[in-house]
Amino acid sequence: MTAVGQMTTSAPTGGTALRAAAGETLLEVEDLAVEFRTPDGTVRAVDGLSYSVRAGETLAIVGESGCGKSVSSLAVMGLLAPTARITKGAARFRGTDLLALRPKEHRRYCGEHVAMVFQDALAALNPVHTVGYQLGEALRARHGVSRGEARRRAVELLDLVKVPNARQRVDEYPHQFSGGMRQRVMIASALAMDPEVLIADEPTTALDVTVQAQVLRLLAEIQAERTMALVLITHDMGVVAGVADDVTVMYAGRAVEQAPVREIFAAPAHPYTRALLRSVPSLATRGAAAGAGARADAKAAGGRLDVIPGRPPSPGQVPSGCPFHPRCEVAQDVCRTDPPPLAAIPAEALTTAAPRAAACHFALDVLGGARG
Amino acid sequence: MAERAVVTRTGGDDVVLEVRDLAKSYPVRRGVLLKRTVGEVQAVDGVSLTLRRGRTLGLVGESGSGKSTLARVLVGIEKPTRGQVLVGGQDVSTMSRAERRHLRRTVQMVFQDPYTSLNPRMSVGEIVGEPFRIHPDAVPARGRRAAVAELLELVGLDPDHANRYPHQFSGGQRQRIGVARALAVKPDVLVCDEPVSALDVSVQGQVINLLEDLQDELGLSYLFIAHDLAVVQHIADEVAVMYLGRVVEQGDDAAVYDDARHPYTRALLSAVPVPDPTARDLPGEIVLEGDPPSPADPPSGCRFHTRCWLARQIAQQSLAGPGAGTEAGGAAEGDGPVVPERCRTQDPVLVRLGAPALVGAAGGPDVPHTVACHFATVPVVPQEPPDLREPVDRSAPADRQEPADRQDPADRQDPADRQDPADRQDPADESVRS
Repeated sequence: MTAVGQMTTSAPTGGTALRAAAGETLLEVEDLAVEFRTPDGTVRAVDGLSYSVRAGETLAIVGESGCGKSVSSLAVMGLLAPTARITKGAARFRGTDLLALRPKEHRRYCGEHVAMVFQDALAALNPVHTVGYQLGEALRARHGVSRGEARRRAVELLDLVKVPNARQRVDEYPHQFSGGMRQRVMIASALAMDPEVLIADEPTTALDVTVQAQVLRLLAEIQAERTMALVLITHDMGVVAGVADDVTVMYAGRAVEQAPVREIFAAPAHPYTRALLRSVPSLATRGAAAGAGARADAKAAGGRLDVIPGRPPSPGQVPSGCPFHPRCEVAQDVCRTDPPPLAAIPAEALTTAAPRAAACHFALDVLGGARG
Repeated sequence: MAERAVVTRTGGDDVVLEVRDLAKSYPVRRGVLLKRTVGEVQAVDGVSLTLRRGRTLGLVGESGSGKSTLARVLVGIEKPTRGQVLVGGQDVSTMSRAERRHLRRTVQMVFQDPYTSLNPRMSVGEIVGEPFRIHPDAVPARGRRAAVAELLELVGLDPDHANRYPHQFSGGQRQRIGVARALAVKPDVLVCDEPVSALDVSVQGQVINLLEDLQDELGLSYLFIAHDLAVVQHIADEVAVMYLGRVVEQGDDAAVYDDARHPYTRALLSAVPVPDPTARDLPGEIVLEGDPPSPADPPSGCRFHTRCWLARQIAQQSLAGPGAGTEAGGAAEGDGPVVPERCRTQDPVLVRLGAPALVGAAGGPDVPHTVACHFATVPVVPQEPPDLREPVDRSAPADRQEPADRQDPADRQDPADRQDPADRQDPADESVRS
């Protein structure tokens, strides 16, 4: 009931909506599990995921394909495919459990408070309607604003995401926009209802680096302006380092490590996080990272990349015990049999007051090794 | 059009593939029944490259820069509009069809998407063995099954899986199949078009290591096309940077990455996210505005001038300070951003920089560092009272790996280079983020 009450009071065009105070916990996902029915039986794509994100802060969810990072967001948004089922857990927005709402209410509620940006903007936009029509669609459907008012609002939104010549471009079709501009349109569309939480699923993966930098900067500006909470789903550790406050690393449907961004890059506590950080070649230029001397040495020495053997398990074939054990360099017998819980790292092992957690039997050794 | 690049290093028997002043344009047609040609897209416009035996040439650039078109011309999928492709010193365009087909064995391609570049109805054995049907002389008919098994083993796959189908393999394994197929006819050159960008990060490294191992083992040369500058830096010996169909900077890997002179290269390098959260708030990131212009209607003069941060900075200085303008050639007001006259009207050619490559690959040939920019060698003085923070500031926290090994850039650079606008905090210029 409270949900309906909030809905009717929230303003359609923003500005008057009650903004969250920075630091207030807005979205809290708890023990979420999602299963898919497949011809080969039931497959668990997300297995007991918990996270929370506060107003004005950015949580990065990092993982490789099939780790459940996208599925968990779709579950929060109520956009799962019909073959998927949420078997347990809650996703609370300001205390209201979205997952307990009826599907129609769930989507309606999300539309106003939690919005999502997808990776493939071309597929997410309708090719037969103008950009302006699509941006205004939600406003007309939800708030019954007039066509002229919706168009005016669409121009405002395009201005907000810095699409040049918004007044003309509002009448163009998605194919007339470049990749970067389309992603801006996607962001504008997500902002139409002035959400408090924005979930961005690989928003820059399809973009060129110079355009990626623009879009990331735009997201950061909009977030700061509105003290919005941002959940950024990505596989790119460079992007994480650039924008995140907190990081959740996922593997095989589970969160394997959660920590503030500086701590996780300085000293990962899970061997998967550590291997992920090592396996990415990072740019060494004058003034950044290792420098020419170190690189020339590395090249002369064969210059092989540190790689993680094997590949991420598909959701149907998650190994027993710790799901990472077949690829793990510190795995022992216990790892093959006992799945490690995501456990808080004791305060005496931490360098800062911020809590951290890792799902590894040897988290303290990994952490100690990274420091030593 | 005149030859754009300095082609002084022709010949030499270790050159396996050479491209001279290559151009490829596509007509733009309008109309439904009567198609009229209303213009053309210059996808590649005057590119010259040299690839030596056993070396890797990295080709970087954003979408629309023409790097994939260039790859398609090199393997013979497209015919060039102008220019020459020389394989082993022979001009491909003057050959007969039979000769060309034979020659095509020499240059093979690895495609970007391992999901769409493998026929789902063919078994892995058939896919890897298919090149033998086109080039029957590569391996005698009786030896083909064994050859396929050998190829699969070479790329780290189980030869017993030859009768499986592509959907039974992961992305990384499929890319290995693509590599095995390319190697079937024993080429000298592999053109790899974004070979790892569709793969998971933990798997990318495996494929890159495989390519490097194969190079050592078979003496292959790679033209490695990628948008990921870190990957190219890891694998390439030489790098060419493309923008709107042209090569704007080229040279030894160390020269291009450590001493980038073209403002586009510098912007590209600075846009790569650094996996170090402590480097976040430091100055120095150059954020380019806008998207690359359409190749159908490239800007006049220097093609980069519409997005060039350096040109704007120079123009502002010439307006502000007397004397500086003579070097910049004067600035002109217009509709677009204010840039020096020369950048708007004169097309810069690739010129060789004076200094030899600073850190050459051990034992490698001397590769000239060439840049197509009017201001590649002009010292740029910061116009604001300089915040004389050494560039070291930006790098210091990033230096997790080898702090001791990093050289102070000031020690090996000419003084002009210390006035590096990319490393300065400059509140007046919106293109440089502070």
